[in-house]
Amino acid sequence: MSDTLQKEEQIKASINAAFRSAKVSIQRKGRIIVEFRGGILPAFASYLKEYLNFKHLSMISGVDWPEDNQFELVYHLWSYEQSIHVMVKVRLDREAAKTKTLTPLWEHAETYEREIHEMLGVEFEGHPNMRDFILEDWDDLPPMRRDFMTREYVDEVYEWRKGREDAQDVRQTIAEQYNTEVPNFNNEDK
Amino acid sequence: MSAILQEKETTLYLGPQHPGITGNMMIELKVTGDTIRKATTHVGYLHRGFEKLMEERLWMQCFPIVCRICVPEPDPNEENLARAIEELEGREVPERAKYIRVMMLELSRMATYLLWMGGQSGSAGLYTMPQWTVGDRDYIIDLFEELTGGRVYHMYIWPGGVRRDLPEGFEGRVRKVLDYLEQRLTDYDRLLFENAIFLRRAQGVGILDKDMAMEWGVVGPPLRGCGIAHDVRKDEPYEVYDQLDWEVITHEGSDVYSRAMVRRKEFEQSISIVRQVLDKMPSGPVHNPGPNPLKWRVPAGEAYVKTESARGEFGYYVVSDGSLKPRRVHVRGPAYVHGVSLLERMLVGANIADTSFIMNSLGTCPPEIER
Repeated sequence: MSDTLQKEEQIKASINAAFRSAKVSIQRKGRIIVEFRGGILPAFASYLKEYLNFKHLSMISGVDWPEDNQFELVYHLWSYEQSIHVMVKVRLDREAAKTKTLTPLWEHAETYEREIHEMLGVEFEGHPNMRDFILEDWDDLPPMRRDFMTREYVDEVYEWRKGREDAQDVRQTIAEQYNTEVPNFNNEDK
Repeated sequence: MSAILQEKETTLYLGPQHPGITGNMMIELKVTGDTIRKATTHVGYLHRGFEKLMEERLWMQCFPIVCRICVPEPDPNEENLARAIEELEGREVPERAKYIRVMMLELSRMATYLLWMGGQSGSAGLYTMPQWTVGDRDYIIDLFEELTGGRVYHMYIWPGGVRRDLPEGFEGRVRKVLDYLEQRLTDYDRLLFENAIFLRRAQGVGILDKDMAMEWGVVGPPLRGCGIAHDVRKDEPYEVYDQLDWEVITHEGSDVYSRAMVRRKEFEQSISIVRQVLDKMPSGPVHNPGPNPLKWRVPAGEAYVKTESARGEFGYYVVSDGSLKPRRVHVRGPAYVHGVSLLERMLVGANIADTSFIMNSLGTCPPEIER
């Protein structure tokens, strides 16, 4: 077991030596999780990119943890040389979620940050282009937050199609609407 | 006169419906003459909120949702979610099921490439090719229908294996379709890949900076079209890809043509992979059943899994808090990077007529950008 995880152990040791505040754990072969606190994320990301060869930013995920009153941003980095995937986790205060952008390091981080800004309401300092991404003119609660209730929103904003609200037969409603008999939709009656 | 006309900048709205994509997506172009100066993508026409919906569904109910994330190729999505859950649960997959999964994924890759060939040539104005390839894709879709009951969306790969075993005589029918497609490749070569019009349109167009490709997060055929040999199937082999004989295909050139040639050769390679799978497939069970789906709790934890889809790395980040429903499922589609930030950059300086052509060569797929 120990020699199969050799590369992972090496990376863990070098991260621990350079950044004391980083909490590194090896999840399995090829997967490392780094829990990182504090606002020096760009420096840490740049260290991973330039010195440890984690050149490929796969994606940035945002997870809402309302019970801890925190958002968790997960930066997924991949090293082609070592075939190792690192997940850098940063916890942000839910009330004033703010962090620095990683667009100077990876330009495509721009899209991910725009989406997280829109879906969770996290601010990215220094982001060059924070315009609407998917939701246009959205002024409600950011929808990927756990306390955004999809069902209530739908009930409030949209009208249920007639015949659906109390699980009654749609054909009956249609017939009443058009003042006709209940149409028969069965195939065998053709 | 012409100098004055060229100085004037005009705004052009391309889409939401246009030949470059499967789905809807608008591109706002600032043009002078017929050269693009600035491109801005506008997505949001296909947002269905799948990631949010999945937070309110049982784990099993997520499978009919994930396969709809990418319309042209649903199988990598099922594979990813199934593999993420297996990783969280530590559930073993029977050997035969692994082979069947590889067969499904490769058939799905071939079906996607056939659809792409149609789109790529259609956006260059060669309309015979789509008729042929979409017709030939139907033979693969028929196989899917026989095996899974669904033509486009299969819900076939699930945690612990696959939903059912191959029907009797299915292997022979797969081989028959493979033989047919292999012989059809000669026709495709004559009609598209060696066609003077296509070569003229594709060579030297849509150049991707080779040195920057990795930094921009480019994956899949566009990356291999820059001559960089990276493929998830080799970098981090899943299922039985490490037991099969195949090589990563690359092509120098970094243009639309080299990306097309990568796909053309991978199509041929997929035929060989499926044949190997059929030769080597062991007998045995195809599913390792789990608990009752209505009371199915996945242990708390997180997993990142990835699959090489026909357009590149398809990644899933799945977080479970130990409850009946997923805490978070975040999807990374290859088109998310290719279709927004990379496209905006690549279109600068291109001709308006090449927009759809370049988008097709990157494999832009709006349903997976928005999810």
